Amino acid sequence: MTAIVTKSGLELHTSGAFAMLRRISAVVGNTLREAGRAKLFYGLLGAAVMLLGFSLVLSDLALVDQKARLVQSFGMAVVPLVCVGTAVLMGALLLHKEIDKKTLYAILPKPIARGEFIAGKLLGLCALLVIELVALALVWWAVLSMRGGQMTGPIVRGLALHVIELVLVTSIAVFFSALTRPVLSGLLTAGVFVVGRVTYVITDLLAARKGLFVEVPAMRAVGKALVVAIPDLSTFAVADPILQGWDVPWSYVASASMYGLCWALAFAVGAVLLFQRRDFT
Amino acid sequence: MRRLASGAGDTLFSPAHTTPVQVCPTMNDANSTPLSPDDAILSLDGLAKTFRVGFWGRPVQALRGVSLTMRRGESLGYLGPNGSGKTTSIKCIVGLIQASAGKVQLFGGDPGEAPRRAKVGYLPESPYFYDYLTPIEVMEYVGKLYGMSARDRAERSHKLLGQVGLDQAAKRPLRGFSKGMLQRVGIAQSLLADPELLIWDEPLSGLDPMGRKEVRDIMAALRADGKSLFFSSHVLSDIETLCDSVCILDRGQAVAQGRLSDLLRSEELESEAVAEIPSGDNRPAAIATLAALPGVVLTDLPSGVRLVLPTAQVPALMAKLLELGGFLRELNQRRDSLEELFLRKAVKRDQDGGAA
Repeated sequence: MTAIVTKSGLELHTSGAFAMLRRISAVVGNTLREAGRAKLFYGLLGAAVMLLGFSLVLSDLALVDQKARLVQSFGMAVVPLVCVGTAVLMGALLLHKEIDKKTLYAILPKPIARGEFIAGKLLGLCALLVIELVALALVWWAVLSMRGGQMTGPIVRGLALHVIELVLVTSIAVFFSALTRPVLSGLLTAGVFVVGRVTYVITDLLAARKGLFVEVPAMRAVGKALVVAIPDLSTFAVADPILQGWDVPWSYVASASMYGLCWALAFAVGAVLLFQRRDFT
Repeated sequence: MRRLASGAGDTLFSPAHTTPVQVCPTMNDANSTPLSPDDAILSLDGLAKTFRVGFWGRPVQALRGVSLTMRRGESLGYLGPNGSGKTTSIKCIVGLIQASAGKVQLFGGDPGEAPRRAKVGYLPESPYFYDYLTPIEVMEYVGKLYGMSARDRAERSHKLLGQVGLDQAAKRPLRGFSKGMLQRVGIAQSLLADPELLIWDEPLSGLDPMGRKEVRDIMAALRADGKSLFFSSHVLSDIETLCDSVCILDRGQAVAQGRLSDLLRSEELESEAVAEIPSGDNRPAAIATLAALPGVVLTDLPSGVRLVLPTAQVPALMAKLLELGGFLRELNQRRDSLEELFLRKAVKRDQDGGAA
């Protein structure tokens, strides 16, 4: 490791992997603190807790042996949806706030690479989303226990898969955040999420012998481009199979995680490349 | 562990403790030969920046080939009216903006390399920090980016915040801070890593008179300590007081640069004289004779005859006064102020149609 020693004997460690990790962790810590203070975050968290609480009321309307199942279904829908909403909205604002408030003007001239800054912001938001997911899962578990249900292995593995999906959606949001303004980046991220969840439908339509993709050749090219350019987020949507009693084996979680993390890395690299080209006037 | 050092000796802003280190010569790069004190620590070579604005991307040239060199220990004032390109060029130096053309060199190399950036303390114009942090936390965050130890971070933060007068407010969130207080936080964070080169964009703006004096004193102390200062300001008297050299920027071009003493040289300038002429019938004729000297502007005042004339005409004036029976009571060489120099350059550029 190389240390610079200043005129007054101060040692500055700016080179090497350890120094890089220290810089990234400083940005992660600050991002976590900043995002954790956002009213938006607490608004979404509060809404999710209320919805989970509402499922307790709603389950009273269900048949006796279906009460736990209703709470289970409700949680499987609410927890991922709120977490993805948080990732889209806060990811879209992540870089914009730094630029708009000019806080990054005092940070980027320091010995930190722009890529390290993006990595720190991304990981900081991911950390916050994991905290949100765990908090909501605990509330969900409590509600589920009150109705005699339990957190099964497949549900836990489903939540683990959802963490990977959140990392991927956050990377997409940061990619668009580095490209354009927050409203547009939020819309684009939401668009990719929606299309990503139904990519398998597009694949099926492309394989069909009739339909739009056969009748309009130009649309066929668009369909093929979407399948290639947008990650298949249905890989992480395991709520229905779990509710139908299917298992989610660890081997599936591992392969889906690899798939999701590769896509997340690609979007993060894209975000860094875009961010490196930006002028901060 | 290989250590790179920037010199030896105590500084005004040195931490309370110093670690015994093996000091090797100042870096150009890891395997460099020593730099002499005359070597450039900052150089701009034909720096140009064109922004694309509006829907159609209309080009706007903010910088048009600015070149300058700054040497170690120098204090350089960067001067220019609003929109002249001062902040744009500073942002190009610190890496916030990428130049369209030209080259920036810091300490003889690529300004993007972390070891070089670590030797620069940058203060943005109207600095903003995360308003939920306290000054101590800002310093802690910045110190981590420089790879400073926890002990050094704590000691330097405490010391510097005291020096900028924020020791009482060190643990208050920044959201309640005035512009002047934020400026002080900005100054403290720029000094945290004991940088060799300070690049300060409008460091005196937003400060009350006492604050301005304190910052000027800090700058003077840093200068005395051998730090290199590169700062922009609209306040010409500050630049005149604090700088060895200036670069005047107008409409994206450097219109004058060099050492202040050279730029404000007196040979092109004028002298001011007060002469006594005997009263009597001949006085009007004597005054007319003096007024006829080339380039003389004469004012007949009760206290004497005041003449402003080219310095080269002073011997002729004295000879005439002897002939007329008068004498010279006062003679001062008029020294151009930085303000006059600045205005002269701006007017000249306007007369040249902005193509100086």
